[in-house]
Amino acid sequence: MTRKSITPAEFQQSLPQDALIDSSPPDEERIDMDALFVGGGPAGLAGALMLARLIQEDNEKGDGLGEVSIGVLEKAGALGEHSLSGAVVNPRPFRTLFPDLKDDDLPFGMPVTGESVYMLRKKRAIRIPTPPSMKNHGNYVVSVCELVRWLGEKAEEAGVDVFAGFPAGSLRVEGEKVVGIKTVATGLDRDGNPGSNHMPASDILAKVTALAEGSRGMLALAYMDWQRIKAENPQIYALGVKELWETKKPLDKVIHSMGWPLPNSAFGGSFMYPLESNVVSLGLVVGLDYRETNIDVHEMLQEMKLHPLFKPYLDGGEMIEWGAKTIPEGGYYSVPSRRSGHGVVILGDSVGLVDVPSLKGVHYAMQSGIYAAQAIFGALKADDASARVLHKYDRLLDDSYIIKDLHRTRNVRLAFNKGFYRGSIKAGLMTMTGGRFPGKKIKMEPDADVSKKVVKSKSFAPDGTLTISKVDAVYKSGNITRDDIPCHLIPQEDVDAEVAEFYSHLCPAAVYEVEDGKLTINPPNCVDCKATDVLGPRWTPREGGAGPAYKRM
Amino acid sequence: MKIAVCVKRVPDTEARIKVGGDGKSIEESGVKFVLNPFDEYAVEEALKLKEAAGGGEIVVISLGTDANQETMRTALAMGADKGILLKAEVTAPDSLAVAKALAAELKAGEYDLVLFGKLAVDDGCHAVGPMVAELMELPCVSSISSLEIADGKGTAEREIEGGIEVVEFSLPAILTTEKGLNEPRYPALKGIMMAKKKPLETKEVTLEGSGVELTALAYPPERKEGRIVGEGPDAVPALVDALKNEAKVL
Amino acid sequence: MAAILAVLEQRNGEVKRVSHEVLSAARSLADGMGVEVHALVIGPGGTNVDGLGAFGADKVLVAADDSLQLYQAHRYAYIAASAAGDCSAVLIAGTSMGRDLGPRIAARMGAPYFNDVKSLEGSGEISITRPMYSGKAIATVKITASPCVLSVPPNAFAPVEAGKAGAVEEVAVPEAVEPARATTVNVKEPETAVLDVSESAIVVSGGRGIKEESDFKVVEELAAALNGAVGASRAVVDNGWRSHSEQVGQTGKTVSPNLYIALGISGAIQHLAGMRGSKVIVAVNKDPDAPIFKVADYGIVGDVMEVAPRLTEEVKKLSEG
Repeated sequence: MTRKSITPAEFQQSLPQDALIDSSPPDEERIDMDALFVGGGPAGLAGALMLARLIQEDNEKGDGLGEVSIGVLEKAGALGEHSLSGAVVNPRPFRTLFPDLKDDDLPFGMPVTGESVYMLRKKRAIRIPTPPSMKNHGNYVVSVCELVRWLGEKAEEAGVDVFAGFPAGSLRVEGEKVVGIKTVATGLDRDGNPGSNHMPASDILAKVTALAEGSRGMLALAYMDWQRIKAENPQIYALGVKELWETKKPLDKVIHSMGWPLPNSAFGGSFMYPLESNVVSLGLVVGLDYRETNIDVHEMLQEMKLHPLFKPYLDGGEMIEWGAKTIPEGGYYSVPSRRSGHGVVILGDSVGLVDVPSLKGVHYAMQSGIYAAQAIFGALKADDASARVLHKYDRLLDDSYIIKDLHRTRNVRLAFNKGFYRGSIKAGLMTMTGGRFPGKKIKMEPDADVSKKVVKSKSFAPDGTLTISKVDAVYKSGNITRDDIPCHLIPQEDVDAEVAEFYSHLCPAAVYEVEDGKLTINPPNCVDCKATDVLGPRWTPREGGAGPAYKRM
Repeated sequence: MKIAVCVKRVPDTEARIKVGGDGKSIEESGVKFVLNPFDEYAVEEALKLKEAAGGGEIVVISLGTDANQETMRTALAMGADKGILLKAEVTAPDSLAVAKALAAELKAGEYDLVLFGKLAVDDGCHAVGPMVAELMELPCVSSISSLEIADGKGTAEREIEGGIEVVEFSLPAILTTEKGLNEPRYPALKGIMMAKKKPLETKEVTLEGSGVELTALAYPPERKEGRIVGEGPDAVPALVDALKNEAKVL
Repeated sequence: MAAILAVLEQRNGEVKRVSHEVLSAARSLADGMGVEVHALVIGPGGTNVDGLGAFGADKVLVAADDSLQLYQAHRYAYIAASAAGDCSAVLIAGTSMGRDLGPRIAARMGAPYFNDVKSLEGSGEISITRPMYSGKAIATVKITASPCVLSVPPNAFAPVEAGKAGAVEEVAVPEAVEPARATTVNVKEPETAVLDVSESAIVVSGGRGIKEESDFKVVEELAAALNGAVGASRAVVDNGWRSHSEQVGQTGKTVSPNLYIALGISGAIQHLAGMRGSKVIVAVNKDPDAPIFKVADYGIVGDVMEVAPRLTEEVKKLSEG
């Protein structure tokens, strides 16, 4: 069969609700906690830490709750190993969490001292004025892995239990109420039979469960689907592929670029940040509403590194790490109408708290954790974790600078849905008018509903030094998932060669390959970027410790 | 039965090793530290012995800085009962100095069995267990791949070139563990929670250096450039010749 | 001047070849210091110690008793530490016996100990190099103490003929070292299992360049001719042609044989991570740009199905001739 275009949604399975929402009675061997944060990223850890602080302060005043158990569940083998971000971070929430610490004591890399934005052509880079939203004075280049490890230490010191290597596989519910989660069993072979290291799934029940799973969090998606929580627009995503390089030539400013190697029909751009004077993070981010099936973010990043803007920094250097992750890009109109319910609050990237024009989300994630902690503290004090009490989180969020920031830039990313040039003009007007142009919401459709023209792919031959293959990239992500792990990806049966080929470009980690016109799946390669869940086969939680082991991403 | 397990905090075997500015140590930023993989077999074996006996106490002992506490908590989360951290700065790999400090602590503890991993994956010294045994005048079998204990006596097997040595010994004894002895368990959620509440005692110790100094740490030499011997099956005789006379591997 | 003691190893009354390497290492160190080399052989009555002078022993100390046929750790350590007397260094091979005995001798003598010694030099203080962090770094260690005990890995020092006296001298064997609390009772034959890929001195691996399952026999045949183990790349294991226990690579086994032959393996980093520690690497691949050639010592550009059978044939000729 030869098709002209592919609409990804037609080849996608629906969300496996039955597996993700579990209303059966919990196991007797369960663990009971007061508050459980699902996901040990900036949001979950800031939330857990803040909650522990509030409880401690309250206990010190007398009349406190006494010992309160706070847990953080993380699917990576250790904190930070699944965390990836650009990242230039606004230190604002750190001032709330650590009022006594100076910036030097915080887990930051270099402060931003200069920045340049370029419009790229194949062989040239034209410097353009830095848009106001992209000014980063006072912000820091950060390794989010290091940030998360540091936050984890602080949280543990404050008495929080951090459980790394334990993914949440399903949400435990009673009626409309979220009562906890069930972890994922480990040590199963490819056919699902227990091996010698098998550990069955266990239940963790909590008075309040905070879903902080990050971008495309499965339990958060399942909960919102189950509760029919909607936003004005569906969430849309971008895929970012990032590399960390040790360079010979120092970089002294942050660089952003637009244009090449992306086609006009795609939204995205690149970044290059100095983490240390001779360590740079370099990446390419592309909106998944792209229009051609052969768009391949990993390969485009490889090609981009050969551009005269980047190559001089990389020549003679060494790639230390590689990774990929999706980013929720819908902004204001994609934030769900409510982010709390009976026994549950949803944080950070899982509800799309990302501002695309300024390329920021880490500080919003942490701030949402702080607000969640305040609401959870109230619920624990009142011994009432009903939606009514936890709604405080929604109120705090709605009144916060987060929602104000997102509102100001509400249409900027959306303007690019009709291509880059029209988008740039509209975005410029929006910025000038503080978001008032064009006034009304630009309507978006889910990425998977955007039809993609079938375009034959050109061949890509990495040189092994500056440019690398996807298989080598997976190695550089630190992924050492055992080979006989059960498949955690759910494709539609018998997808044809064109769709398989589209998946092979979509996935930056060579999970999908086309062999003899058929789709082959290599589940251990998966780095949990979730792009597959947005446009391809469904991603489901798998055994703890599987996936990448990022160190300084 | 009272069992001691001596454990070490080491960089993850997957870690990228970078020589530090001093040219003598590694840069620790971005390096994940873990419980030495061979020590996991020792912890697991201790747990199995305790479970089989239906009781007893497992004490985890580690020598190093406060950072070791995290590593010890892993062993406690697996199921060990308490920890003793011998606090000291260890610089050069000095097995004898470490063995002396451990032997002093172990003597005081009156253990029935002391377990070590056969080597630590950082310095690869493969020495502390047998050294402690000689210092304490205790029977010792190193690198064991099989163990049976009953009535104050034990039988252990260790793999040697082309065979398996079978060694009988009496308790108390010291054993060092090899891969294949067992399959270490993952800490369970409950274990991790309980580990925080288990006692972890810290004692200051001073190491008595035995006259060694690490003067330089460098990267191994790059592999020397290889060569293409030829094309197709006709190149085979030249390859065989090179393997036999140049590389001397045939 | 204090001598260098080389503690040798016998199996069934014959001194092992690796002991010649230890003797030669001891000889070169002793020559630098201007001292004698004493060789110590512990074994059963009638242990053959002929010819050790040729590898550099000035004197051969023999502790022979039938109760010492098998390695008895505590007694061996006692005898060796006694024989070391005022030696300035003790050298031993990094075999399963040496790895156990070396640290014991050191502890009894109160001496520092290092294994995996790749090079050693010095006339007064001894300076050694040895790998650390699984070979990702090489440490130079200065040993200011005397004596010290050093273990050298097999194949690191070539046996060199030196032509010394090699005068044999019996040393007293203590009846028993009290208390004799651990006894090696026997040595079992290993179960005749398939040679494990991670332990074999020679590994022949096949990869994607082999198109059919039945074609994999060219790998098996070459492995058999070389008396080596069969390995496989992830692609082959994923196809179900070979078991996961044979997979070489980051998520499979890490191997470091003397000879690694990669047949039709392109050399993804995750495969290289599992075999780049091999001493000699041979690659056969159709694609001259395959990354495997970057780490290979010897390469043949060609079709595995043509090259491998020819290689098997030549290897057979070699072992027959």
